[in-house]
Amino acid sequence: MNITGLDSLVFGVDDVEACNQYLTDYGLIPNNVSAAGGTFTALDGTSVVIRHRDDPELPPALPTGASLRKTIHGVADQATLNAIAEELGKDRDVRRLADGSIEAEDDMGFTLGFQLSCRQPISIPAEKVNAPGDEPGRPVNVIGADESITIVPRTLSHVVYFVPDSKKAEQFYIERLGFRVADRFTNLGPFLRPQGTLDHHTLFLVDTPPEMQGVEHFTFHLGGPTELLLAGKRFQEKGYESFWGPGRHIYGSNWFWYFNSPMGVHVEFDADMDLHDDSWTAREIDASADASQIFNFTLVDKWMPGGDPH
Amino acid sequence: MNRPIRLCHLSDIEDGDARGFDPHQQGHDSLFVIRQHRQVIGYRNACPHKGYEGTSMAWRKDRFLNKAHSRVICAAHGAQFDINSGECLLGPCPGQSLDRLPLLVNEQGDVYLLPADSEK
Repeated sequence: MNITGLDSLVFGVDDVEACNQYLTDYGLIPNNVSAAGGTFTALDGTSVVIRHRDDPELPPALPTGASLRKTIHGVADQATLNAIAEELGKDRDVRRLADGSIEAEDDMGFTLGFQLSCRQPISIPAEKVNAPGDEPGRPVNVIGADESITIVPRTLSHVVYFVPDSKKAEQFYIERLGFRVADRFTNLGPFLRPQGTLDHHTLFLVDTPPEMQGVEHFTFHLGGPTELLLAGKRFQEKGYESFWGPGRHIYGSNWFWYFNSPMGVHVEFDADMDLHDDSWTAREIDASADASQIFNFTLVDKWMPGGDPH
Repeated sequence: MNRPIRLCHLSDIEDGDARGFDPHQQGHDSLFVIRQHRQVIGYRNACPHKGYEGTSMAWRKDRFLNKAHSRVICAAHGAQFDINSGECLLGPCPGQSLDRLPLLVNEQGDVYLLPADSEK
């Protein structure tokens, strides 16, 4: 199954205006924003969609009231779309929507969409570093620390589900949709990568009691660690509530910084994730603070030693 | 400090809304106060959600309530709590409650955190 990654996440929320503002401040490009919601896109066209929780066009909410109403995966071609429809049609209702996409529930009840991917190719340099022993990353006279840069998330990276049965949930994505296990936290669940991307994971499943079913977080990739630190600092200075980070994960190697959100999920800034193919052997360990990150910081106010000695 | 700590004046909290406080200078709001006319209700800014105990609940400074200001919400995983009882009504921590803090409003309208729980 040539699933290329997440195209869009659709939320049904209590406070539309707050969510619209939040995602704009996060750095996404706002489109069609109104009291009814909006679409907030990254540079490659992947997005988060906000609607009011009572919007009749939304798929039904999970019994827990979780705000995520639909996860839309992109696929490479029509053949993949047809193959998914045929596979899922064996044991569940598969709806064909007017826009050509298909819709069905996974084994945990999350509503999934599959569509010809909206992800546009982008060509923007990554953050570059200079290090003795290697060719300069930045040309001579090009500065690395520019506080004025515009930071727009590049692409929708991954979503993390709380699921009541991570084994069953994992089986669905592996056996029915061809996802691979990149790595695994034994006591939580697997990091999953669909076949159409090299990204370490686009989906991570966390085993929880049923009353917790929903979303832990989602995130977009930024251009590098400096962008991530600057974006998170700007976000915190706007009054948004940091939850965890900044830091760098071990599985996936991605830099992270998590914030609370009015969607009632964590929202992460992410940068520099590992790439894997099918020659990779999944690692496994019990999740812990030590296993989760190589370091974890807290932003403090700007400061300098000494002041002006004159 | 085993004595009441003044948090603010009633008029510093918009009627029906909430505000976070950091009375022990911990660098983050350790509690929040909801104002309903001359009544105030205080809770520790700590979601009881299993595995996330102690998580700060606002999504932005002082944003602890839903849009209608009828429930406390946790912006980490969407839990909703009754304003008066602190009981979880929807979301990931059913059967659990927020940790209530004793407050006092004096005749001048000054809001105090009382010492019984001031070290929490």
